[in-house]
Amino acid sequence: MAKPPEPLSEVLPLAVWVVDAEVVEVISTGPQPPEPPLRDKQRPDATSRNLNAPAQKVKLKVNRVLKGDAVKELVVDKPIAGYALKAGNHGPFLIDKAKTILGRYGPDTYNFGKLEAAIKG
Amino acid sequence: MPLPISDRRLSQLYRSLEASNGKIDDAQALKLLAEVADRSGWSAASAQRGLPTLSRDQQLAAIKRGMTANEKADLVKILDQGTVRLDPSARSMFEAVLDRQAPPPPPPPDGNLRVTGDQANGLSGFAKPGDKIEAINLSAAPTGRLHTDDTTVIATVGADGKFTAAKLTGDQAIKEGDIIRMRARHADGTTGDWVTLRATGLGRDTRNAEVAIFRIGLTENAGQIDVSNINASRQVSEPGAKLQFTNVRTGEKTVVTLNAEGTFDPGVKLNGKAGDTFNVASTDGTNNSDFSVQVGKLQVPGADGSGVPDIIKDPALHKDELDSNGNPRFSTRRFTGPLFKDGVSLEDPVQGQIGDCYFPSAVAAIAYQNAQALQDAIEDNGDGTYTVTFKERDWRNGGTFRDVKIKVDGDLYVRSWGGPLYGSSGGDKGERTMELWFPVLEKAYAQWKGSFNAIGDGGHSDVVMQEILGRNGTSMSVREGNEAAVFAQIKRSLDAKQPVSAGTYGESQSARYTNSGVYANHSYSVIGYRTADDGTMMVKLRNPWGESEPAGNGSNDGIFELDIKTFNKLYQNLMYTTP
Repeated sequence: MAKPPEPLSEVLPLAVWVVDAEVVEVISTGPQPPEPPLRDKQRPDATSRNLNAPAQKVKLKVNRVLKGDAVKELVVDKPIAGYALKAGNHGPFLIDKAKTILGRYGPDTYNFGKLEAAIKG
Repeated sequence: MPLPISDRRLSQLYRSLEASNGKIDDAQALKLLAEVADRSGWSAASAQRGLPTLSRDQQLAAIKRGMTANEKADLVKILDQGTVRLDPSARSMFEAVLDRQAPPPPPPPDGNLRVTGDQANGLSGFAKPGDKIEAINLSAAPTGRLHTDDTTVIATVGADGKFTAAKLTGDQAIKEGDIIRMRARHADGTTGDWVTLRATGLGRDTRNAEVAIFRIGLTENAGQIDVSNINASRQVSEPGAKLQFTNVRTGEKTVVTLNAEGTFDPGVKLNGKAGDTFNVASTDGTNNSDFSVQVGKLQVPGADGSGVPDIIKDPALHKDELDSNGNPRFSTRRFTGPLFKDGVSLEDPVQGQIGDCYFPSAVAAIAYQNAQALQDAIEDNGDGTYTVTFKERDWRNGGTFRDVKIKVDGDLYVRSWGGPLYGSSGGDKGERTMELWFPVLEKAYAQWKGSFNAIGDGGHSDVVMQEILGRNGTSMSVREGNEAAVFAQIKRSLDAKQPVSAGTYGESQSARYTNSGVYANHSYSVIGYRTADDGTMMVKLRNPWGESEPAGNGSNDGIFELDIKTFNKLYQNLMYTTP
């Protein structure tokens, strides 16, 4: 994918939770989405192709809640997107009301400083 | 004694051949037969011009349609009693006109491409055995990205020298009246002469001359308006199309006929002045021959200094930015900031919401190594428009690079809050204050390639470097184990002031990137190297987002260092130009 993260101002309003959390378990992984065909004269090593990693269901251990109700653990969906999660991955997770992780790169989408400033308004 | 021919013009022509002791070859035959075809709806003069552009069957039909009984008798005399020698193919043509059941013409001994019949069942004809037949539909190509020599192979010539039922498909599918350009490519890679025909046998001609109105440039010059093709390497419309320009202010109508390349001949002018609007209509000679249906409007820029008219169609949005009905979710706004604020710098290019990381990565790499090249490539026309010069291989001239000039204005797609949707400059994003060179360059690139959709699904930084600098772009594979060679190449390229980018692996490897600070499927500018005190080789990179980097690299400006082992683990290639 390699598009930059979506503007935080567009994503934060959709977040029911903003948490500092760690992936403790990948519960399930969906099928690999099909690759788009190479365009005219594209080599396989082209960057910014619209490639995606499969959807996953993961369990998060929540260390800190920046926005939303207090919670210690969340089971959430990682959508088909340009990143994949494994146990040990950590960082800020934005989660919507359907318990889906927001942000194009999951915990690597926004840093804590930017999020905390935006939440404070 | 001269041959007694009753038709006066035919007689004159034949006598001149007798007097010169010449022979009747294919060209002379068509000249004579044009005199016969002069009641087929053509004058003799237009038949002389038109017959060579038709297939053999079309020629026969036209000639027979115009032939009188006297002319038929004259042709019999020329064929049976004439003293001027006829070439075999010319004789065959005369016999066919007279319905003498002549056998079909043999494959041309010179191996040149010859098309036979109509196109009801595709394209058929003769050429040298083994030749590949290439074709392009010049009536379907103008509004696309094709050059007039961007052909498709439609057939391979058999051992008998024939090809049959060859077809163009998709957007290029042939319709009645379309102009098809073909050539034979020989086994040694060389090509024969172009053959151009107008398609017949497909029913009613319903396709009017398409017009790439966004390629038409109008410029005031000494009291008149110069008309030009702002992307001269591509068509404005099909060859021979007529465009009518109507000056809305004065009502004056001017009809311009396009040349064989589907573009304007030099020196086309209209009467008018800056600020005038022209309605544009087209005809292929069959459809819209009264110019009643317009294809668009153009305005001459520079009117009384009060803003810049929107003369240039903006490249279309990427498909991700269309709603479910295919309508754009974003509109444009005119940006009027300075083209260059403080020259060109590495931090200027910032990628927008489009999958073209390879582009800002390459441009930032060039900005770092050769800022002047970028300043030279983008010209402020002073009227709210900018001309960007890209470089393109010219395979007709041995693969040397030729200039491709693309003119754009300052209209940029914007988000609801006003910021640029696609590429922007680092820092100030204001409509009147943002430095414009990078978004203008990206817009021109999209214009050149056809749309933001055309550039927004991935690409290669080395190709962009080549297309900006006119130097060979190339790439080198990066893998764990070839660290020394990779570091040596980075050093060699950067020392030679060549731009370098590096690409990461795709999403199949994405798990290795999470929490690394480096992103999958992404291109980064390579902007430095050093050997640390402990001997570790370090590579310095920049994320074209202008932010997001591994922790511990100072401010979040997208600039960071990796040791060569980590670099080789995360990146799959280096892309650079050769000096």
